[in-house]
Amino acid sequence: MKEFKWVWSLMRKYRLIFFTALGLVFAVNLLNMINPYVQGMIVDRVIVDGQIGILLTLVLIMVGNTILRAVLRYIYLYMFEHVSQNVVFNARRDVFRKIQELDFDFFDRTKTGDIMARMTGDLEAVRHFTAYVMYSLFMHTVTLILVLVILFTINTTFTLILLAITPITGILAVKLSSVVKPAFSAIREQFSKLNSVVQENISGNRVVKAFAQEEYEIYKFSRENAGFRDCNIRAAKIWEKYLPVMDAVAGLLSVIIILAGGILVITENITLGELVTFSSFLWALNNPMRMIGWLINDTQRFATSAEKVMMLLSREPKIKSREGAITRKPEGRVEFRNVYFGYGKKPVLEDINFCAYPGQTVAVVGPTGSGKSTLISLISRFYDCSRGTVLIDGKNVKDYDLKALRESIAVAMQDIFLFSETIEGNIAYGAPDVPVEKVCWAAEMAGAHGFITEFPEGYDTIIGERGVGLSGGQKQRIALARALVKQSSIIILDDTTSSVDIETEHRIQQNLREFCKDKTTFIIAHRISSVKHADLILVLEEGRIVERGTHSELLALKGRYYNTFVNQYGDFDKMGSD
Amino acid sequence: MARNKFDIDEELEARFDAKQLRRLLGYLKPYRGKVAFTILLMIVSSMLALLGPYLVKVSIDEMIPSGNIPGLIVLASIFLVTLVFNTICMKYRIRTMSYIGQNIIYNIREDIFRHIQKLPFAYYDSRPHGKILVRVVNYVNSLSDLLSNGLINLITDLFTLAAIVVFLLILNVRLALICFIGLPVLITVTLLIKNAQRKAWQKVSRKLSNMNAYIHESISGIKVTQSFAREDENMDIFLEQNEEYRKSWMDAIRVQFLMWPIIDIISVISVCAIYFAGIHWLGTGGITTGIIIAFTSYVWRFWEPVINLGNFYNSIINAVAYLERIFETIDEKPTVADLPGAVTMPSINGAVEFRDVLFCYEKDEVVLDHVSFHVEPGQTIALVGPTGAGKSTIVNLVSRFYDVQEGRVMIDGRDVRSVTLESLRKQMGIMLQDTFIFSGTIMDNIKYSRLDASDEDAIAAAKAVMAHDFIEAMPEGYQTEVNERGSRLSVGQRQLISFARALLADPRILVLDEATSSIDTETEIALQAGLQRLLKGRTSFVIAHRLSTIKNADKILYIDDGKIIEQGTHEELMAKGGAYCKLYTAQYRLLEVV
Repeated sequence: MKEFKWVWSLMRKYRLIFFTALGLVFAVNLLNMINPYVQGMIVDRVIVDGQIGILLTLVLIMVGNTILRAVLRYIYLYMFEHVSQNVVFNARRDVFRKIQELDFDFFDRTKTGDIMARMTGDLEAVRHFTAYVMYSLFMHTVTLILVLVILFTINTTFTLILLAITPITGILAVKLSSVVKPAFSAIREQFSKLNSVVQENISGNRVVKAFAQEEYEIYKFSRENAGFRDCNIRAAKIWEKYLPVMDAVAGLLSVIIILAGGILVITENITLGELVTFSSFLWALNNPMRMIGWLINDTQRFATSAEKVMMLLSREPKIKSREGAITRKPEGRVEFRNVYFGYGKKPVLEDINFCAYPGQTVAVVGPTGSGKSTLISLISRFYDCSRGTVLIDGKNVKDYDLKALRESIAVAMQDIFLFSETIEGNIAYGAPDVPVEKVCWAAEMAGAHGFITEFPEGYDTIIGERGVGLSGGQKQRIALARALVKQSSIIILDDTTSSVDIETEHRIQQNLREFCKDKTTFIIAHRISSVKHADLILVLEEGRIVERGTHSELLALKGRYYNTFVNQYGDFDKMGSD
Repeated sequence: MARNKFDIDEELEARFDAKQLRRLLGYLKPYRGKVAFTILLMIVSSMLALLGPYLVKVSIDEMIPSGNIPGLIVLASIFLVTLVFNTICMKYRIRTMSYIGQNIIYNIREDIFRHIQKLPFAYYDSRPHGKILVRVVNYVNSLSDLLSNGLINLITDLFTLAAIVVFLLILNVRLALICFIGLPVLITVTLLIKNAQRKAWQKVSRKLSNMNAYIHESISGIKVTQSFAREDENMDIFLEQNEEYRKSWMDAIRVQFLMWPIIDIISVISVCAIYFAGIHWLGTGGITTGIIIAFTSYVWRFWEPVINLGNFYNSIINAVAYLERIFETIDEKPTVADLPGAVTMPSINGAVEFRDVLFCYEKDEVVLDHVSFHVEPGQTIALVGPTGAGKSTIVNLVSRFYDVQEGRVMIDGRDVRSVTLESLRKQMGIMLQDTFIFSGTIMDNIKYSRLDASDEDAIAAAKAVMAHDFIEAMPEGYQTEVNERGSRLSVGQRQLISFARALLADPRILVLDEATSSIDTETEIALQAGLQRLLKGRTSFVIAHRLSTIKNADKILYIDDGKIIEQGTHEELMAKGGAYCKLYTAQYRLLEVV
């Protein structure tokens, strides 16, 4: 039921058009009765009685009626499409908005292909329902009621006899609707799987080719492809069981007309004329009874898909702005107080404490998986810490409006994602309205201007999804430029120059020093050269800060940081003595 | 470089013609026996359906007036028998048609998927992935009904039409011809709107593709979007895509819906014409009152299949817009493919040679400019130089991800183009710059390079690259599920998993393209120690910016601007005092400057 409530909530705005269209359906149904009547008159009056004079009038009525009917039908079909397209438009908008709202946690668990399936196949079922199934249901109901009214006025007993078989249709319909739903659920599930396997194959095409695993990919795909086929065939097995029987039950009406009707006429309970009328209205009883199975089928298809879409829509992001959140942009003092964080049982971060002031640079170093990226992701509230507080300007990050918070933080993520857009579009991603000069300036700062201008189309070069076609270092620099364009008070550079050669990195660092003068800067890096000048270096290990201080303080400590330094610059002394 | 993005309509490269329609029918061929039988059943069943009204008529005209109850029972029984037969026919039809329809879809999808496996990087790099996805999944789905029920209806309707035409002609030739006058009118109108209709549906398919590409990319890049708080702008872009799709749909519908009213009106006019003509000719040429009445009641049965055919035509036009995209994809020529006569690469020894290689991704944009070098089996080759110099390109050519324009790439003295791609790549372990994690367990991901590897082997590989500890620390260890966006794995962790994957392939040639850029120095040192043992006797190519990583290489190639500027060992190059030496000392010099 809630599926219908949902679709109605989307239709409400268009209810005037929808009901007008239903009214037109009704009108066309009535107009449908005219032509047979006029034809009867032509036969009786013109052909049999020879009143040729009225032929033209009758013919004009018939043609006029048909034109009117055709026009009205065109209009209502168009109106239903209009409503349905708008419903789907809005549903798609809602899903898209929801996707944008949901937090990292959701995306860490959900496959892209699954979400794509909601947006394509499932919304298609909603479209079909609103464009076709709804009015068909209405049309058949109206026809059925109209004809029943007529038949009851003619002869109650015989109508009741005819209706005696309708419970069978009813029972079959109810049964069908309950057995077909799981079949559709299975189809939807399988459709998601198929979508995911193809989506991953396309996104991961480089790895597939690198290991020549095309055959394995085909095997994986074929499995889901066959699964999808089999689910559909299984659903057809259900239709095959019910629909022909429902069709046959509708056909029984004719048998009743012949047998029961005949006997009633012979026993003089009804007249022959009444029987003829009954038989001529047979189609109007017959058709809805035959269609009901298909329509129930389509309705359940819709309900299954709608349920899936609603499930996605009902997901609430755990991370969102609270009521009355601070919308003022923070200045940038970042403080961690006893911060703990864990996804599962094992904590990823434990007891993190530090404070970073505007104008300062904080560097985070440590082994792979020690929690560096997690730590900085708490500042932008990509995740919320499980204990303790992250504060900006002395206020809990949770008290800030999410948009205001994130707008004031520029992040160059370690995991670089570039959009299939022009280079300019990518750099200006966080600030679409900035002038070209600003984009070039940022590229210059990030050491990217040089190679960009070497492309034949310069800043208008379209780059592939995820930045394919660019080298790792080029991607990193574009991602860095993207972060620099944004107006921000906090800047986070997560391993942004690891694939850039050392001289370029050095140039970038010099550029950044001026730029970050009044900002709070966080740098994650592995190269000592990248973090050496930081005001505070935090050495992370297994989620804890094990060493902290400046470069020289940490070297003096002769601990982990010192070891890293020796490992990277071990032959430095040798060099010096050469 | 890409040529297409989400908001650029794709040009259609292949025109749809009869040949492609035949090709589509080719998919139906294996099932032709079943299809023919179903059509036969449908024809019999529609003939029987004509019997129904007749039985009612006989009962009313003959049995009832004469009070013949046994006669009524006989008629009712005949009717029951036809009902049972129809039920069986319908059951058979649903079963067969869903079987055939689903199998055809399965086959088309299988073909398109198998084909895109053969397409080179360039194909995937040049368009948004969402656009490829809709072709394989959604477009193919839209054909399902057309191919099964559509075709059966088409043939059944054509048959009914033929039968009714013959019947009308027998009834009265002159009246029949009047009735058929409507047809040329209908055909003319249909042809007139055909082009508009076709264009409209092509537009729908392009807009759908654009919109889906945008959705797809928005999901893939969601973390960037959220970190830049760009949700509102993206919403606007999406709404625009959404709106364009909606609009194109409504435009198409506007043309599509014309079909039905036109047929309706033409059919009524033709019936009226029969009345006029019939009354005019009454009494001549065997036209009687009875004939006119009979004729006009059968004329509707003539228009019914015509209307159905019109609907079928509509859905064909609709489907063709998708079909041409599907066939276009299947016809896309793989630019890197096994050449005729390609042989299986025997077990690789590891000698690699570039002989005067010229390569460009785009015309006139030389990426490698006459590069030549030679690698002995078992050597470790390091490639250094500025980003974008062509280092990744060189290693990509070794695995023949692209074909050279001039010169040759040889492995063990064989041109890489003379062997099959599979036999070549199966012997290489490649760790690409972009790590990609498949959804599934971590174990599945490591085993991706060698599906039949044992768990022990996979764990050994993970240990060798120092990935074992962090994997074990995860909630479910090697069985932890990850998704294709990498879930919560850090880039460094993903690199280690990819590294383990490359190693497990037991490659004869190992390619490490920035394999350790996001890995800390300590892990890397430990990793290299383990690697030294494993790589004994295997040729390896290493690209790295951290020079400590490459110092021990047997040969270092310094690449700049598509050329090899210097080559030699670390000591040789340092002694030479050239570009490499400058680069190497820079890291110390720069440390001091800071």
